[in-house]
Amino acid sequence: MKNNRSSSLSVMIAAFISALLLSLLCGLFYNAWKYEVERIEQEEGGWHSRILGEPAERDMETAKNFANVRDAVANPLALDLYFEDLGAVFTDTPRIAEQIGAAPEQIVYHYGLLAMYLVRDSSDTAPRLLFPMFLLILFLAAFSLIVIIHNAFAVSMNARIYQFGIFSSIGATPKQIRTCLLQEAAALCAVPVLLGNLAGIAGSMGLLNVGNMLLSGVEGRHKAVFGYHPWVCALTLLVTILTIWISAWLPAGKLSRLTPLEAIKNTGELQLKRRKHSSILRLLFGVEGELAGNALKAQRKALRTASLSFIFAFLAFAMMQCFFALSGISTRETYFERYQDVWDLMVTLKDTDVDAVEEIQAMQGMKGAKSAILYQKAAAKRIIAEEEISEEMKSLGGFSHASEAYATQVDGGWMVNAPLVILDDNSFQLYCEQIGITPQLHGAVIWNQIRDVTNPDFRHPDFMPYIKDQNAPAASVLRQGGNGEMTAEIPVLAYTEKVPVIREEYAKLDYYELVHFIPVSLWKEIKGQIGGTEKDSYVCILGGENPSLEELDMLQEEMDLAVRGKYTMEWENRIREYETNNRQIQGMKAIFGGFCILLGIIGMGNVFSNTLGFVRQRKREFARYMSVGMTPGELRKMFCTEALVIAGKPVLIGLPLVGITVGCMLKMSYVAAGEFMAEAPLVPILLFILAVLGSVALAYYLAWRNVRKISLTESLRDDTMM
Amino acid sequence: MEILKCEGVRKVYGSGPNEVTALNGIDLSVSKGEFVAIIGASGSGKSTLLHILGSVDKPTEGKVMIDGTDLSGLNRTEAAIFRRRKVGLVYQFYNLIPTLTVRKNILMPLALDRKKPNQEYFEKVVNSLGIADRLEAMPNQLSGGQQQRVAIARSLIYRPALLLADEPTGNLDRKNTGEIMDMLKLAGRNLGQTILLITHDEKVALEAERMITIEDGRIVKDERRR
Repeated sequence: MKNNRSSSLSVMIAAFISALLLSLLCGLFYNAWKYEVERIEQEEGGWHSRILGEPAERDMETAKNFANVRDAVANPLALDLYFEDLGAVFTDTPRIAEQIGAAPEQIVYHYGLLAMYLVRDSSDTAPRLLFPMFLLILFLAAFSLIVIIHNAFAVSMNARIYQFGIFSSIGATPKQIRTCLLQEAAALCAVPVLLGNLAGIAGSMGLLNVGNMLLSGVEGRHKAVFGYHPWVCALTLLVTILTIWISAWLPAGKLSRLTPLEAIKNTGELQLKRRKHSSILRLLFGVEGELAGNALKAQRKALRTASLSFIFAFLAFAMMQCFFALSGISTRETYFERYQDVWDLMVTLKDTDVDAVEEIQAMQGMKGAKSAILYQKAAAKRIIAEEEISEEMKSLGGFSHASEAYATQVDGGWMVNAPLVILDDNSFQLYCEQIGITPQLHGAVIWNQIRDVTNPDFRHPDFMPYIKDQNAPAASVLRQGGNGEMTAEIPVLAYTEKVPVIREEYAKLDYYELVHFIPVSLWKEIKGQIGGTEKDSYVCILGGENPSLEELDMLQEEMDLAVRGKYTMEWENRIREYETNNRQIQGMKAIFGGFCILLGIIGMGNVFSNTLGFVRQRKREFARYMSVGMTPGELRKMFCTEALVIAGKPVLIGLPLVGITVGCMLKMSYVAAGEFMAEAPLVPILLFILAVLGSVALAYYLAWRNVRKISLTESLRDDTMM
Repeated sequence: MEILKCEGVRKVYGSGPNEVTALNGIDLSVSKGEFVAIIGASGSGKSTLLHILGSVDKPTEGKVMIDGTDLSGLNRTEAAIFRRRKVGLVYQFYNLIPTLTVRKNILMPLALDRKKPNQEYFEKVVNSLGIADRLEAMPNQLSGGQQQRVAIARSLIYRPALLLADEPTGNLDRKNTGEIMDMLKLAGRNLGQTILLITHDEKVALEAERMITIEDGRIVKDERRR
């Protein structure tokens, strides 16, 4: 170990990384589990089973007499049971129910909470994936680590193959050799495993705090408090030791099976079984390029993990960046930009009809409010006669593309949805002015637009007139959604292309709906015939010019005061929503980015363990190159080429795949390529590439420092290097 | 014409009580086209002399001139380039590059200089060494004798001033030893190649035109045999 410091170091690094990752994984899982238990207890209660019905005092005592019952709490509607031994929930609850005279149907189990403690019942059919997912991830992580770090052990052990050949030749049994190698591995890994575990615990604590910070603005989320349990520590140590033991056992077993002759003859040198060409590298970098290419091919197995980790890390990182960039453009265009001039504050008045809100005028008159539109939506239907359909719509097939759910053929035309948007009178009159008609309160304004169904581009839809201008009826006969016989005829004030400025989208799913905007005064007259209102009303408020968050908060406070206590209200603040959205994206980016970096670290670990160990393994190879006249500069060039290929390969493989994926995403989201390119995440991707290149270059630089020290004379004289 | 000249070459390893004198005042002159064998027991200093002549190692004292170049003044890069162009090294264990084909192994010194081979000369070398049909094979697909022929071909490809062979037959059976020696003699005769062979086997040394015996780092006998 003392004479083989580089490869010992690579083994120690590998053990540290393994312990760190596994400890991080277990720590995060434990805290995710703990958080979920807390969430369930907060939201649904911490009871394990419950017997419905009004419990009597003696029922509680009966339940408490059961040995496994920790507590029984009576509430007006049920008796909640808390168990000491959760395994007894499904056996004791029916017995308690029987004793207090409750029917089996009155028993309710808290399956969600019980599943968190791995207590399951056959009647709970819901998929509970937390533990299976954790076990799968843990298994995959351990398996990946074995694949990665066994190479570090192999390099370290192979460096001693000659020595073990001699041991074997003087009578050491394979078991003794294996034991010796495993003891050596244990001695090397003990400290790094402990340090890695501590670092993993610290890492999970740090990540939890970052998560808390990033998600602090999310409604209804409680703060996660870090916790750790001795059993988690035991599990982490067990899995880590098992992972490292398997990783060391694989090469140790292989080595111990070699015959003394094989071991003494073995040079551990890089060999190619078949003839390979590195034509491109030869063309680019000359013979040094070819030698580098062949050396990498010979090390393919040892570098497989690095290669795969870097490819996946680059792919995941680049795709994540592109996805978030694209999603950002999309959200901005379809959500924030579309609504920026429409709303600053949005109030949902829970279970409130539009005609019951009296404070809207006060709200509209408030300082700092440019506009406040009160509205409620209602469902209705209407028949459109064949002759009413516009020529443009006819030319595209009329209703032939419509599904039965949206348009049905009836006597005299097509029955379509005619959703009503009921505006407060002031806002309706303002809307009339905006579309250029005399403000009146006895009729409806109809949005006379239909989307071109043949154009699937939802981002840039084409609209055309729905109803002919000349044949447009002066009245609209609305029918109740559930009962077509109930009708109400209302005058049509105008057919228009413009809609009022409220946070609504029309004809999104049902392209054939004919939206009617009506004033609340008219609604009061016809609501008896039509009905069908949604249960909530909304107020869409626009602040002054570019209001700040503080101004909006103030306005919200004032409006809250004006209607305090009268309605159940839910507020949305555009700026805060934007900030929360940004924070969530940042959080997602941090989590996914962390995952990519983790993958990258695995790759780097593999490269480092390889380069730190390969000097000894490749000493003879380098001596050969030097003996035929390769200069130190040419050897360095060969090293640089190797590093460049290791770091460049993921980019070369990944870029076309990222390009294709981004192309598909652009096609699906109808974002123009130029628009995406203007905001493409080139800098982070470039930084990621440079980080990979830098780390590989560092690994090769450290190896180069050792190679530089190789004495050709000594290498040629060293019998063990034959 | 003198191709190699050593004057008072001394090589000392270690210092203080661990000091070992491997070479102690070697004076040697070899003319172009000569086939010289250096013979000596293990530890006599013959391999040290070969390393110094091959610019792999430097003498502690003295001067070594090969084809007009003073080796003592070369830095690592210059020494490597000198080794590539002026000296062909043949080792007991062939030292072929296992990741390159036979052809590429042979052409390696030229490739390092970005030079194209003289096809006629290349064919002459591989034909005379009997490896023309194995050019696309990998080294591990060849027998020991074939690998040594490839090593000789590689050492000859640059038409070096001096071919240094360190126990080239040490790892071969009697039949292959005879063949390799014949080929070295052929190279000397047909290509006018100066050859300096190091061996501990007297039978092998007797094949050379001149036999130099080294003992304890000194030349004790220098005899021309024909």
